[in-house]
Amino acid sequence: MKFAVVILTGVMTLSGCASFRTAAPGDPIEPINRGVYSFNSTFDHYLLKPIAKGYDAVVPGLVKTGVSNVFQNMSDAQSLVSDALQLKGAKFGDDLGRVMLNTTFGIGGIFDLATQLGVERGNEDIGQTLGYWGIGAGPYLVIPFLGPSSLRDAVGRFGDSKLNPLSYVSSVPVRNSLTGLSVVDARVGLFPAEDLLNQASLDKYTFLRSAYLQRRQSLVLDGKRPKDE
Amino acid sequence: MKRLNWKSGFFATAVIAAFAVTAAQAQVAPDALIKTVATDVTTVLKADPAILSNAAKLKELIESKLIPNFNFARMTQLAMGRNWAKASPEQQAALTKEFQTLLVRTYSGALANFRNNTIEVRPLRMQPAETDVTVKTVINQANGQGIPIDYSLEKGADGSWKAYDIIVGGVSLVTNYRDEFNTVIRDQSVDALIKQLQSKNK
Repeated sequence: MKFAVVILTGVMTLSGCASFRTAAPGDPIEPINRGVYSFNSTFDHYLLKPIAKGYDAVVPGLVKTGVSNVFQNMSDAQSLVSDALQLKGAKFGDDLGRVMLNTTFGIGGIFDLATQLGVERGNEDIGQTLGYWGIGAGPYLVIPFLGPSSLRDAVGRFGDSKLNPLSYVSSVPVRNSLTGLSVVDARVGLFPAEDLLNQASLDKYTFLRSAYLQRRQSLVLDGKRPKDE
Repeated sequence: MKRLNWKSGFFATAVIAAFAVTAAQAQVAPDALIKTVATDVTTVLKADPAILSNAAKLKELIESKLIPNFNFARMTQLAMGRNWAKASPEQQAALTKEFQTLLVRTYSGALANFRNNTIEVRPLRMQPAETDVTVKTVINQANGQGIPIDYSLEKGADGSWKAYDIIVGGVSLVTNYRDEFNTVIRDQSVDALIKQLQSKNK
Protein backbone atom coordinates (compact mmCIF):
# COMPACT_ATOMS: atom_id res chain seq x y z
CA MET A 1 0.00 0.00 0.00
CA LYS A 2 2.99 2.32 0.35
CA PHE A 3 3.24 2.65 -3.39
CA ALA A 4 -0.35 3.89 -3.49
CA VAL A 5 0.76 6.87 -1.42
CA VAL A 6 3.78 7.42 -3.67
CA ILE A 7 1.56 7.27 -6.76
CA LEU A 8 -0.93 9.68 -5.24
CA THR A 9 1.78 12.19 -4.43
CA GLY A 10 3.19 11.78 -7.93
CA VAL A 11 -0.21 12.25 -9.50
CA MET A 12 -0.95 15.38 -7.52
CA THR A 13 2.39 16.86 -8.52
CA LEU A 14 1.89 15.95 -12.16
CA SER A 15 -1.65 17.20 -12.45
CA GLY A 16 -0.50 20.46 -10.94
CA CYS A 17 2.17 21.25 -13.48
CA ALA A 18 1.53 19.27 -16.63
CA SER A 19 -1.08 20.13 -19.18
CA PHE A 20 -2.05 17.85 -22.02
CA ARG A 21 -3.32 18.99 -25.37
CA THR A 22 -6.42 16.87 -25.61
CA ALA A 23 -7.28 15.90 -22.04
CA ALA A 24 -10.74 14.45 -21.51
CA PRO A 25 -12.66 16.06 -18.67
CA GLY A 26 -12.10 14.15 -15.44
CA ASP A 27 -8.96 12.52 -16.78
CA PRO A 28 -6.18 15.14 -16.77
CA ILE A 29 -3.38 12.59 -16.74
CA GLU A 30 -4.78 10.37 -19.49
CA PRO A 31 -1.40 9.62 -21.14
CA ILE A 32 0.02 8.33 -17.84
CA ASN A 33 -3.17 6.43 -17.04
CA ARG A 34 -3.06 4.79 -20.44
CA GLY A 35 0.53 3.74 -19.78
CA VAL A 36 -0.44 2.15 -16.46
CA TYR A 37 -3.51 0.59 -18.08
CA SER A 38 -1.38 -1.05 -20.71
CA PHE A 39 1.04 -2.27 -18.02
CA ASN A 40 -1.88 -3.74 -16.05
CA SER A 41 -3.27 -5.42 -19.17
CA THR A 42 0.08 -7.09 -19.85
CA PHE A 43 0.39 -8.19 -16.22
CA ASP A 44 -3.14 -9.56 -16.37
CA HIS A 45 -2.65 -11.29 -19.70
CA TYR A 46 0.54 -13.12 -18.72
CA LEU A 47 0.04 -13.72 -15.02
CA LEU A 48 -3.24 -12.98 -13.30
CA LYS A 49 -5.66 -14.22 -15.94
CA PRO A 50 -3.91 -17.57 -16.54
CA ILE A 51 -3.85 -18.18 -12.77
CA ALA A 52 -7.53 -17.25 -12.46
CA LYS A 53 -8.40 -19.52 -15.42
CA GLY A 54 -6.53 -22.39 -13.82
CA TYR A 55 -8.24 -21.81 -10.48
CA ASP A 56 -11.61 -21.60 -12.19
CA ALA A 57 -11.02 -24.85 -14.08
CA VAL A 58 -9.56 -26.91 -11.23
CA VAL A 59 -11.50 -25.86 -8.14
CA PRO A 60 -15.03 -27.32 -7.74
CA GLY A 61 -17.91 -24.88 -7.97
CA LEU A 62 -19.05 -25.28 -4.36
CA VAL A 63 -15.57 -24.51 -3.05
CA LYS A 64 -15.32 -21.44 -5.29
CA THR A 65 -18.66 -20.18 -4.01
CA GLY A 66 -17.53 -20.80 -0.43
CA VAL A 67 -14.30 -18.87 -1.00
CA SER A 68 -16.18 -15.98 -2.62
CA ASN A 69 -18.62 -15.93 0.28
CA VAL A 70 -15.87 -15.78 2.89
CA PHE A 71 -14.24 -12.77 1.22
CA GLN A 72 -17.64 -11.18 0.70
CA ASN A 73 -18.36 -11.63 4.39
CA MET A 74 -15.13 -9.82 5.23
CA SER A 75 -16.10 -7.05 2.89
CA ASP A 76 -19.53 -6.82 4.58
CA ALA A 77 -17.70 -6.38 7.89
CA GLN A 78 -15.55 -3.72 6.25
CA SER A 79 -18.72 -1.90 5.09
CA LEU A 80 -19.95 -1.41 8.65
CA VAL A 81 -17.71 1.58 9.31
CA SER A 82 -18.81 3.23 6.07
CA ASP A 83 -22.49 2.56 6.84
CA ALA A 84 -22.02 4.22 10.23
CA LEU A 85 -20.03 7.17 8.87
CA GLN A 86 -22.87 7.87 6.42
CA LEU A 87 -25.45 7.54 9.20
CA LYS A 88 -27.23 4.86 7.18
CA GLY A 89 -28.87 2.99 10.04
CA ALA A 90 -30.81 0.50 7.93
CA LYS A 91 -27.73 -0.52 5.95
CA PHE A 92 -25.69 -0.74 9.14
CA GLY A 93 -28.31 -3.04 10.66
CA ASP A 94 -28.46 -5.20 7.54
CA ASP A 95 -24.70 -5.52 7.26
CA LEU A 96 -24.31 -6.23 10.97
CA GLY A 97 -27.02 -8.89 10.77
CA ARG A 98 -25.37 -10.36 7.67
CA VAL A 99 -21.95 -10.60 9.26
CA MET A 100 -23.27 -12.05 12.52
CA LEU A 101 -25.45 -14.63 10.80
CA ASN A 102 -22.96 -15.64 8.12
CA THR A 103 -19.98 -15.77 10.48
CA THR A 104 -21.75 -18.00 12.99
CA PHE A 105 -24.34 -20.18 11.30
CA GLY A 106 -22.70 -19.68 7.93
CA ILE A 107 -19.45 -21.10 9.38
CA GLY A 108 -17.05 -18.20 8.99
CA GLY A 109 -18.92 -16.86 5.99
CA ILE A 110 -18.65 -19.99 3.81
CA PHE A 111 -22.44 -20.02 3.46
CA ASP A 112 -24.23 -16.80 2.63
CA LEU A 113 -27.39 -17.51 4.61
CA ALA A 114 -28.25 -13.83 4.93
CA THR A 115 -28.72 -13.39 1.17
CA GLN A 116 -30.92 -16.48 1.07
CA LEU A 117 -33.02 -14.89 3.78
CA GLY A 118 -33.29 -11.74 1.71
CA VAL A 119 -31.03 -9.45 3.79
CA GLU A 120 -29.40 -7.13 1.29
CA ARG A 121 -25.75 -6.24 1.21
CA GLY A 122 -25.08 -2.59 2.04
CA ASN A 123 -22.16 -2.48 -0.35
CA GLU A 124 -20.55 0.66 1.08
CA ASP A 125 -16.91 1.72 1.23
CA ILE A 126 -14.80 4.67 2.30
CA GLY A 127 -14.67 6.12 -1.22
CA GLN A 128 -18.48 6.25 -1.24
CA THR A 129 -18.45 7.70 2.27
CA LEU A 130 -16.20 10.55 1.12
CA GLY A 131 -18.53 11.05 -1.84
CA TYR A 132 -21.54 11.06 0.45
CA TRP A 133 -20.03 13.94 2.40
CA GLY A 134 -19.58 15.94 -0.75
CA ILE A 135 -16.08 15.10 -1.90
CA GLY A 136 -15.96 14.79 -5.69
CA ALA A 137 -14.26 11.93 -7.48
CA GLY A 138 -11.29 14.07 -8.49
CA PRO A 139 -9.06 13.01 -11.38
CA TYR A 140 -9.45 9.52 -12.78
CA LEU A 141 -6.56 7.24 -11.88
CA VAL A 142 -5.42 3.87 -13.11
CA ILE A 143 -3.47 2.32 -10.23
CA PRO A 144 -0.74 -0.21 -11.01
CA PHE A 145 -2.01 -3.77 -10.47
CA LEU A 146 -5.33 -2.51 -9.06
CA GLY A 147 -6.89 -0.82 -12.10
CA PRO A 148 -9.50 1.93 -12.46
CA SER A 149 -9.90 4.37 -9.58
CA SER A 150 -10.13 8.04 -8.82
CA LEU A 151 -8.18 10.20 -6.44
CA ARG A 152 -11.03 10.01 -3.91
CA ASP A 153 -11.49 6.26 -4.32
CA ALA A 154 -7.74 5.60 -4.06
CA VAL A 155 -7.78 7.30 -0.65
CA GLY A 156 -10.90 5.25 0.16
CA ARG A 157 -9.24 2.01 -0.87
CA PHE A 158 -6.36 2.71 1.45
CA GLY A 159 -8.84 3.21 4.31
CA ASP A 160 -10.80 0.11 3.35
CA SER A 161 -7.69 -2.03 3.32
CA LYS A 162 -7.09 -1.02 6.95
CA LEU A 163 -10.68 -1.94 7.87
CA ASN A 164 -10.72 -5.32 6.18
CA PRO A 165 -10.50 -8.24 8.61
CA LEU A 166 -7.74 -9.67 6.40
CA SER A 167 -5.39 -6.94 7.59
CA TYR A 168 -5.69 -8.29 11.15
CA VAL A 169 -4.33 -11.71 10.24
CA SER A 170 -1.02 -11.57 12.11
CA SER A 171 0.91 -14.26 10.21
CA VAL A 172 2.39 -12.54 7.16
CA PRO A 173 2.56 -15.64 4.91
CA VAL A 174 -1.04 -16.54 5.73
CA ARG A 175 -2.19 -12.98 5.16
CA ASN A 176 -0.37 -12.76 1.84
CA SER A 177 -1.76 -16.09 0.67
CA LEU A 178 -5.29 -15.04 1.58
CA THR A 179 -4.85 -11.69 -0.15
CA GLY A 180 -3.59 -13.52 -3.23
CA LEU A 181 -6.58 -15.84 -3.14
CA SER A 182 -8.96 -12.90 -2.81
CA VAL A 183 -7.40 -11.31 -5.92
CA VAL A 184 -7.81 -14.53 -7.92
CA ASP A 185 -11.39 -14.92 -6.66
CA ALA A 186 -12.19 -11.37 -7.72
CA ARG A 187 -10.55 -11.93 -11.12
CA VAL A 188 -12.70 -15.02 -11.78
CA GLY A 189 -15.75 -12.90 -11.04
CA LEU A 190 -14.74 -10.57 -13.86
CA PHE A 191 -14.81 -13.17 -16.65
CA PRO A 192 -18.38 -12.44 -17.84
CA ALA A 193 -17.82 -8.68 -17.77
CA GLU A 194 -14.58 -9.13 -19.69
CA ASP A 195 -16.32 -10.87 -22.58
CA LEU A 196 -18.85 -8.08 -22.75
CA LEU A 197 -16.09 -5.48 -22.64
CA ASN A 198 -14.25 -7.12 -25.53
CA GLN A 199 -17.40 -7.35 -27.59
CA ALA A 200 -18.87 -3.96 -26.82
CA SER A 201 -15.98 -1.54 -26.73
CA LEU A 202 -14.06 0.31 -29.41
CA ASP A 203 -11.45 1.57 -26.98
CA LYS A 204 -11.31 -0.46 -23.79
CA TYR A 205 -9.55 2.25 -21.82
CA THR A 206 -12.26 4.82 -22.48
CA PHE A 207 -15.05 2.29 -22.03
CA LEU A 208 -13.73 1.22 -18.61
CA ARG A 209 -13.13 4.79 -17.50
CA SER A 210 -16.65 5.85 -18.36
CA ALA A 211 -18.20 2.76 -16.80
CA TYR A 212 -16.09 3.09 -13.65
CA LEU A 213 -16.88 6.76 -13.07
CA GLN A 214 -20.59 6.29 -13.72
CA ARG A 215 -20.79 3.21 -11.52
CA ARG A 216 -19.08 4.93 -8.60
CA GLN A 217 -21.28 7.98 -8.95
CA SER A 218 -24.31 5.70 -8.90
CA LEU A 219 -23.06 3.89 -5.78
CA VAL A 220 -22.45 7.19 -3.98
CA LEU A 221 -26.03 8.19 -4.76
CA ASP A 222 -27.31 4.70 -3.81
CA GLY A 223 -28.69 4.06 -7.26
CA LYS A 224 -30.47 7.38 -7.66
CA ARG A 225 -29.54 9.21 -10.80
CA PRO A 226 -28.49 12.86 -10.65
CA LYS A 227 -31.67 13.96 -12.40
CA ASP A 228 -33.93 12.01 -10.01
CA GLU A 229 -35.69 13.77 -7.12
CA MET B 1 -34.55 -6.67 -3.86
CA LYS B 2 -37.85 -8.19 -3.01
CA ARG B 3 -38.88 -11.11 -5.09
CA LEU B 4 -42.33 -11.28 -6.58
CA ASN B 5 -44.58 -13.76 -4.86
CA TRP B 6 -46.91 -15.92 -6.88
CA LYS B 7 -49.88 -13.67 -6.25
CA SER B 8 -48.28 -10.59 -7.69
CA GLY B 9 -46.85 -12.77 -10.45
CA PHE B 10 -50.34 -13.93 -11.30
CA PHE B 11 -51.68 -10.40 -11.10
CA ALA B 12 -48.89 -9.14 -13.36
CA THR B 13 -49.65 -11.86 -15.87
CA ALA B 14 -53.30 -10.88 -15.87
CA VAL B 15 -52.34 -7.24 -16.35
CA ILE B 16 -50.04 -8.13 -19.21
CA ALA B 17 -52.73 -10.23 -20.84
CA ALA B 18 -55.07 -7.27 -20.57
CA PHE B 19 -52.48 -5.02 -22.09
CA ALA B 20 -51.65 -7.45 -24.85
CA VAL B 21 -55.27 -7.29 -25.92
CA THR B 22 -55.42 -3.52 -25.96
CA ALA B 23 -51.86 -2.97 -27.23
CA ALA B 24 -52.90 -3.09 -30.83
CA GLN B 25 -55.32 -0.19 -30.66
CA ALA B 26 -54.18 1.89 -27.67
CA GLN B 27 -50.94 3.33 -26.32
CA VAL B 28 -49.13 0.99 -23.99
CA ALA B 29 -47.71 2.55 -20.84
CA PRO B 30 -43.89 2.41 -20.81
CA ASP B 31 -43.61 0.16 -17.76
CA ALA B 32 -46.19 -2.23 -19.18
CA LEU B 33 -44.28 -2.27 -22.46
CA ILE B 34 -41.03 -3.25 -20.75
CA LYS B 35 -42.84 -5.89 -18.72
CA THR B 36 -44.48 -7.35 -21.82
CA VAL B 37 -41.27 -7.50 -23.80
CA ALA B 38 -39.33 -8.99 -20.86
CA THR B 39 -42.03 -11.61 -20.29
CA ASP B 40 -42.25 -12.48 -23.97
CA VAL B 41 -38.49 -12.91 -24.31
CA THR B 42 -38.19 -14.89 -21.06
CA THR B 43 -41.05 -17.17 -22.09
CA VAL B 44 -39.42 -17.95 -25.42
CA LEU B 45 -36.01 -18.55 -23.82
CA LYS B 46 -37.46 -20.82 -21.14
CA ALA B 47 -39.48 -22.83 -23.63
CA ASP B 48 -36.53 -23.30 -25.98
CA PRO B 49 -33.14 -22.70 -24.30
CA ALA B 50 -31.36 -24.03 -27.40
CA ILE B 51 -32.33 -20.80 -29.13
CA LEU B 52 -29.35 -19.13 -27.47
CA SER B 53 -26.95 -21.19 -29.55
CA ASN B 54 -29.00 -20.96 -32.73
CA ALA B 55 -27.92 -17.76 -34.47
CA ALA B 56 -30.84 -17.64 -36.92
CA LYS B 57 -33.54 -18.20 -34.31
CA LEU B 58 -31.91 -15.78 -31.90
CA LYS B 59 -31.79 -13.13 -34.61
CA GLU B 60 -35.46 -13.66 -35.34
CA LEU B 61 -36.36 -13.29 -31.66
CA ILE B 62 -34.37 -10.08 -31.38
CA GLU B 63 -35.74 -8.65 -34.60
CA SER B 64 -39.33 -9.39 -33.73
CA LYS B 65 -39.33 -8.58 -30.00
CA LEU B 66 -36.55 -6.15 -29.22
CA ILE B 67 -35.55 -4.01 -32.18
CA PRO B 68 -39.02 -2.51 -32.81
CA ASN B 69 -38.98 -1.17 -29.25
CA PHE B 70 -35.69 0.69 -29.53
CA ASN B 71 -35.03 3.99 -31.22
CA PHE B 72 -31.55 3.40 -32.64
CA ALA B 73 -31.43 6.70 -34.51
CA ARG B 74 -31.97 8.57 -31.26
CA MET B 75 -29.42 6.38 -29.44
CA THR B 76 -26.82 7.10 -32.09
CA GLN B 77 -27.53 10.81 -32.03
CA LEU B 78 -27.20 10.91 -28.24
CA ALA B 79 -24.03 8.81 -28.29
CA MET B 80 -22.53 11.22 -30.83
CA GLY B 81 -23.45 14.25 -28.71
CA ARG B 82 -22.12 17.49 -30.15
CA ASN B 83 -20.26 15.52 -32.83
CA TRP B 84 -23.58 14.62 -34.46
CA ALA B 85 -23.84 18.00 -36.12
CA LYS B 86 -20.34 17.60 -37.58
CA ALA B 87 -21.35 14.42 -39.43
CA SER B 88 -22.86 14.53 -42.92
CA PRO B 89 -26.26 12.86 -43.47
CA GLU B 90 -24.46 9.92 -45.12
CA GLN B 91 -22.13 9.59 -42.14
CA GLN B 92 -25.09 9.81 -39.77
CA ALA B 93 -26.88 7.01 -41.62
CA ALA B 94 -23.76 4.83 -41.62
CA LEU B 95 -23.17 5.45 -37.91
CA THR B 96 -26.77 4.56 -37.03
CA LYS B 97 -26.60 1.34 -39.02
CA GLU B 98 -23.26 0.22 -37.59
CA PHE B 99 -24.13 1.21 -34.03
CA GLN B 100 -27.36 -0.78 -34.19
CA THR B 101 -25.48 -3.83 -35.44
CA LEU B 102 -22.89 -3.52 -32.67
CA LEU B 103 -25.51 -3.19 -29.95
CA VAL B 104 -27.64 -6.05 -31.22
CA ARG B 105 -24.61 -8.32 -31.47
CA THR B 106 -23.26 -7.43 -28.07
CA TYR B 107 -26.46 -7.71 -26.17
CA SER B 108 -27.83 -10.80 -27.84
CA GLY B 109 -25.09 -12.56 -25.87
CA ALA B 110 -26.40 -10.97 -22.70
CA LEU B 111 -29.86 -12.47 -23.30
CA ALA B 112 -28.70 -15.68 -21.66
CA ASN B 113 -29.05 -13.78 -18.38
CA PHE B 114 -32.79 -13.62 -18.83
CA ARG B 115 -33.25 -17.35 -18.88
CA ASN B 116 -32.75 -18.35 -15.26
CA ASN B 117 -33.61 -15.07 -13.62
CA THR B 118 -36.76 -13.15 -12.94
CA ILE B 119 -37.31 -9.59 -14.02
CA GLU B 120 -39.10 -7.24 -11.72
CA VAL B 121 -40.47 -4.07 -13.31
CA ARG B 122 -41.03 -1.25 -10.84
CA PRO B 123 -44.34 0.52 -11.35
CA LEU B 124 -43.87 3.91 -12.96
CA ARG B 125 -45.53 7.02 -11.63
CA MET B 126 -45.90 9.42 -14.53
CA GLN B 127 -48.01 12.37 -15.59
CA PRO B 128 -50.17 11.78 -18.69
CA ALA B 129 -48.37 14.57 -20.57
CA GLU B 130 -44.87 13.18 -20.02
CA THR B 131 -42.98 12.10 -23.14
CA ASP B 132 -39.66 11.05 -21.58
CA VAL B 133 -39.55 8.55 -18.73
CA THR B 134 -37.23 6.05 -17.07
CA VAL B 135 -38.57 2.63 -16.15
CA LYS B 136 -36.69 0.87 -13.37
CA THR B 137 -36.27 -2.89 -13.39
CA VAL B 138 -34.29 -5.38 -11.38
CA ILE B 139 -33.00 -8.71 -12.63
CA ASN B 140 -33.14 -11.03 -9.65
CA GLN B 141 -30.44 -13.62 -10.03
CA ALA B 142 -30.56 -17.08 -8.56
CA ASN B 143 -27.87 -16.11 -6.01
CA GLY B 144 -30.08 -13.37 -4.60
CA GLN B 145 -28.10 -10.46 -6.01
CA GLY B 146 -30.21 -8.02 -8.00
CA ILE B 147 -28.92 -6.15 -11.03
CA PRO B 148 -30.71 -2.83 -11.43
CA ILE B 149 -31.45 -2.04 -15.07
CA ASP B 150 -33.24 1.17 -16.04
CA TYR B 151 -34.68 1.92 -19.45
CA SER B 152 -35.13 5.46 -20.71
CA LEU B 153 -37.99 5.74 -23.15
CA GLU B 154 -39.34 8.50 -25.31
CA LYS B 155 -42.81 8.84 -26.75
CA GLY B 156 -42.86 9.12 -30.52
CA ALA B 157 -45.23 11.14 -32.71
CA ASP B 158 -47.36 8.01 -33.22
CA GLY B 159 -47.83 7.65 -29.46
CA SER B 160 -45.64 4.57 -29.09
CA TRP B 161 -42.80 4.42 -26.57
CA LYS B 162 -39.32 3.46 -27.67
CA ALA B 163 -36.21 2.98 -25.52
CA TYR B 164 -33.19 5.19 -26.20
CA ASP B 165 -30.92 4.27 -23.30
CA ILE B 166 -30.24 1.34 -20.99
CA ILE B 167 -28.68 2.03 -17.61
CA VAL B 168 -27.12 -1.03 -15.98
CA GLY B 169 -26.13 -0.55 -12.36
CA GLY B 170 -25.93 3.19 -12.92
CA VAL B 171 -23.84 2.89 -16.09
CA SER B 172 -25.60 4.44 -19.06
CA LEU B 173 -24.98 2.76 -22.37
CA VAL B 174 -25.34 6.02 -24.25
CA THR B 175 -22.98 7.92 -21.96
CA ASN B 176 -20.42 5.15 -22.20
CA TYR B 177 -20.47 5.20 -25.98
CA ARG B 178 -20.49 8.99 -26.04
CA ASP B 179 -17.16 8.97 -24.24
CA GLU B 180 -15.78 6.35 -26.60
CA PHE B 181 -17.05 8.07 -29.74
CA ASN B 182 -15.68 11.36 -28.47
CA THR B 183 -12.24 9.87 -27.96
CA VAL B 184 -12.12 8.40 -31.46
CA ILE B 185 -13.38 11.59 -33.09
CA ARG B 186 -11.10 13.75 -30.95
CA ASP B 187 -8.00 11.73 -31.87
CA GLN B 188 -9.04 10.84 -35.43
CA SER B 189 -12.27 11.60 -37.32
CA VAL B 190 -15.91 10.67 -37.86
CA ASP B 191 -14.88 8.47 -40.79
CA ALA B 192 -12.37 6.67 -38.59
CA LEU B 193 -15.18 5.99 -36.11
CA ILE B 194 -17.37 4.52 -38.85
CA LYS B 195 -14.46 2.35 -40.02
CA GLN B 196 -13.82 1.10 -36.47
CA LEU B 197 -17.48 0.22 -36.02
CA GLN B 198 -17.53 -1.57 -39.36
CA SER B 199 -14.46 -3.65 -38.60
CA LYS B 200 -15.84 -4.45 -35.13
CA ASN B 201 -19.06 -5.71 -36.78
CA LYS B 202 -17.35 -7.91 -39.34
